[in-house]
Amino acid sequence: MEENFKWLWYAFSAAWVLVVAYLFSLSRRESKLRDELESLKLMIQEKRQK
Amino acid sequence: MKNRSSAILAAASGVMLVITLYLTFLWVPMERTMGVVQRIFYFHVPPFFVAGAAILAGLVASIRFLITRDYRFDDLAVSAIEVGWVFDSINLVMGPFWARPVWGIWWTWDARLTSAFVLWLMFAGYLILRRAVDDPSARAVMCSVVVIFQAVGGVIVYMANRWWRTQHPQPVMGGGQGSGLDPRMWYVFLFSLATMLVLFGALLQTRRRLERLRREIDGLRRTVHSEA
Repeated sequence: MEENFKWLWYAFSAAWVLVVAYLFSLSRRESKLRDELESLKLMIQEKRQK
Repeated sequence: MKNRSSAILAAASGVMLVITLYLTFLWVPMERTMGVVQRIFYFHVPPFFVAGAAILAGLVASIRFLITRDYRFDDLAVSAIEVGWVFDSINLVMGPFWARPVWGIWWTWDARLTSAFVLWLMFAGYLILRRAVDDPSARAVMCSVVVIFQAVGGVIVYMANRWWRTQHPQPVMGGGQGSGLDPRMWYVFLFSLATMLVLFGALLQTRRRLERLRREIDGLRRTVHSEA
C-alpha cells in the first residue's frame, strides 16, 4: 500500500510541476510583451514629437 | 470585460480543483484490485478529453480562419492548441506512474500509447511550425492545415484501444459489455472533467490575451517602420 502511495505522489507532483511551469511561462511572456508594447508606444510618441 | 471573465474562470477552476482533490483522495471508494494508485485515473483521463476538446476548438477555429482569413480565429487556434498540449502532456506524464506499479513497466509501444505519443508530437510540431515561419499569412494557413491532420490523429488515439488489442486497458466508459464504473467513481470523474474544462477555459482566455498583445505589437512595429 505504501509503495502505491509513492507512485500516486510522483504522478500528482509531475502534473503540478507541468501546470505551475506553464503558468509561470504565461506570466513571463505576458510581462515581456507588455514591456515591448510600452517601449514601442513610447518610441512612436517620441518620433511624432520630433 | 474579457479580463473579468478570465479572472472568474480562474477563481472557479481553483475552487473546483480543491473540491476535485477532496473527492479524489477522501470521498471516492478505493478500487478493489489496484488500490490507491487507481486514483491517478481522475487526473489522468480528464486531461485526455480536454486535449481532445482543445483539438476540436483548434479545428473549428482553423477551418473558420481558412474560410474568412480573420486572424482572430488563428489566435484562437494557436491558443487552444498550446493549452491543449499542456493537458495532453499531463495525460502522458501521469500514465507511466500508473503503469509502473500496475503493469510492471513504464511504457510500451502499443497502438494506444504510440498513437498518443505521436499526437503529442503533432502538438509540438504545430508550435514549432509557428516559430519557424515568419510570414503571418503563410504561417496561419500552414498551421490550420496541420490542425486538420491533428484532428484525424486525435480520432485514431481515441479509437486505438477499440480497434486494436492493446496493453492499455479497453475503455471503461462506453466500452460495451463488462465495462463501467461505480456511480461514485463516475461522479468524481465527471466533476474532475468539468474542473479541467473550466481550467482550460481560464488558460485559453489568458493565452488569447497574449496573442492579442502580440498582434498589437506587430501593428505598432509596422507603424514604426512606415514612419521611419
